Amino acid sequence: MATTRQKTPGIPSDWLEEFEAAARRPLKTRFRYSFIHTYKPVLDDEPFRAFATMADYRRWCEANLPDWLGYGRL
Amino acid sequence: MAAFEYRQAEEIRRAFARHGVRYLFLGKSGAILLGFPDTTQDADLFVERTPENGQALVQALRQLGFALRDEQAADILRGKDFVQLKNGPFDLDLVFAPDGIERFEDAWRRRIEVEGFPVCHIDDIIASKAATNRQKDRESLPRLRAFREYWLQHRHTPGNR
Repeated sequence: MATTRQKTPGIPSDWLEEFEAAARRPLKTRFRYSFIHTYKPVLDDEPFRAFATMADYRRWCEANLPDWLGYGRL
Repeated sequence: MAAFEYRQAEEIRRAFARHGVRYLFLGKSGAILLGFPDTTQDADLFVERTPENGQALVQALRQLGFALRDEQAADILRGKDFVQLKNGPFDLDLVFAPDGIERFEDAWRRRIEVEGFPVCHIDDIIASKAATNRQKDRESLPRLRAFREYWLQHRHTPGNR
């Protein structure tokens, strides 16, 4: 563990611990810890959406989604 | 809708292989496959935009249980840049032209295989997130870049190429 930390300077120790812990977990377990579902207003209200361009999609997000979801461009 | 599960990723892998779909896991779901410890809601797939791949994709999605009407299938066949599916057994985002990645072929060459799942290289995942310039992506980038440093030195996950 200490050796690993010496090889990865610049990574905050708490993040490094999380990366190392994740690396020890089987992929199936990582899935269980990582994929969650919470309802996202508007976004989750339609079964299908298609956008001709990514720019169209970004514009739609900014016009329709609540700011707090974080889909707006900076 | 329940959370995306490992067995559903396996179903994607199996159905897409059966139909010959060329795709890559992208976004945070791709990073998670590489070992990034974080949370996300659904899987993002970068899909090659060719007529043959579009046909194969529609067939595979229908086999997986996505209820695609003909006009929705046509949107996928046309290769619209972004398609959001919430009409199946799990949520899926199909990205045909992700920001920050020029061509599918380039990303395919750089791909990482994790237990048979084709995943975008961490550099492509970061490039894509950086290019979107969204608040939620901007917030996750410092940790993702730190993970990149770690991952480049420790590519030891069983199943990695």
